[in-house]
Amino acid sequence: MTPFVKTLFCQVILLVMLGSFQPAAFASVDDAQSFALQAAEPYVKQGFQVREDYWGGDLGSGEKKAVRQQLFKGNEYWFWLGTEVERAKISVHIYDSDGKLAEEPDGWEKGHFAAAHVIPKATGSYFIIVSVEESPEERTHWALVYGFR
Amino acid sequence: MLTFTKHLQLSAIVVTGLALCAHGAQAPQRIDIKQLSKTVEDVVVPLPNEIFGALNKLGAVNWKEHVRTDKGASFTERPRIALLLGTVIADGFVAVQAEDAPAVKEIGQRVLTLAKGIGVGNSITPHSKAIIEAADKRNWESVRQELDRTQNSVQQAMNEVHDEKLSQLVSLGGWLRGTEVLTSVVTKHFSADGAELLHQPDLLSYFQTRLQAMPEFNLPIIHEIQEALVDVKPLIDVGNARISPASVKKISEITTRLGNGIVTRD
Repeated sequence: MTPFVKTLFCQVILLVMLGSFQPAAFASVDDAQSFALQAAEPYVKQGFQVREDYWGGDLGSGEKKAVRQQLFKGNEYWFWLGTEVERAKISVHIYDSDGKLAEEPDGWEKGHFAAAHVIPKATGSYFIIVSVEESPEERTHWALVYGFR
Repeated sequence: MLTFTKHLQLSAIVVTGLALCAHGAQAPQRIDIKQLSKTVEDVVVPLPNEIFGALNKLGAVNWKEHVRTDKGASFTERPRIALLLGTVIADGFVAVQAEDAPAVKEIGQRVLTLAKGIGVGNSITPHSKAIIEAADKRNWESVRQELDRTQNSVQQAMNEVHDEKLSQLVSLGGWLRGTEVLTSVVTKHFSADGAELLHQPDLLSYFQTRLQAMPEFNLPIIHEIQEALVDVKPLIDVGNARISPASVKKISEITTRLGNGIVTRD
């Protein structure tokens, strides 16, 4: 094998290896966000305005994260959580500033999607608790988006 | 008939089963907030139209009297441009509430000029165009969405070049303008529910913390905002008590003064 053919061979092998590792190596919070937005899609037709801004990060199995959010009485909110890890199980719940569960009973969890609904009884700070209940990955990306009407 | 009834029963069982599967484990009815303090993420600053939407539900608001399109002064200091950009985007939301197409178009153009002044014009050009086109079609939902995208793109572009502090000033400018309009509306037609929309102590603390971390922005308007937030805090941080008409009026005076300070040269 000439040096040129050797180099070419190595480069091809490297590219094939990179290609096969791509989903795990390059998955990001942005991917998780696209799943959260996918969960939000049906609600746009119901008049919910989905914010462009979002929260995101990664969590291990069984880990939780709290997000503080200002909500206004008179509005209605949905929070949608997503991850790109299809076999992960995630959840999202909403508590008021006293730590009391504040969400409506129609929230849902479907594998790597979850959603929680709140009609605030008072204007103020609320805590949105996101959790990765189970996941085959060591760290699982998550993204949380919200909409209001 | 019997088969149909059986089929219906089976379908009902399947649907119920799916609904139960979709709903996860029961969440605890109460949690210890203090335990969470180390893992709490920063707030996402609400958009002005989130507040305006809640205000609208309390009764008709004459949004036209709050529309502002004057171009104001031009600045070279980036923190001043960032603050102004936030207030102009908020003005866009007011103009949408008023369904004032010429004002929205003017604001769309102004946003682009300011974004260029701060070095993030490229990311805003398509949004500015979309705002103007949607205003022409009087498609208010699209304008709202584009204003949100504009603010998000501006802030993302700033964050990418590690200008997070300027990004926070954009949010602050928008919040101040939103609060100015909210208090002006509630002062004119006071209601306890309208005043309650001012109950945002954590958001105010968030801005205070951010401003304290900007000693390099040694500008009179920044100092003025810092001092004003100290005055506003006890008026809105009232716990379970109600925010009084006098407090709303006071906050209105303070935010109007700050609003004028943001748009005019020192």
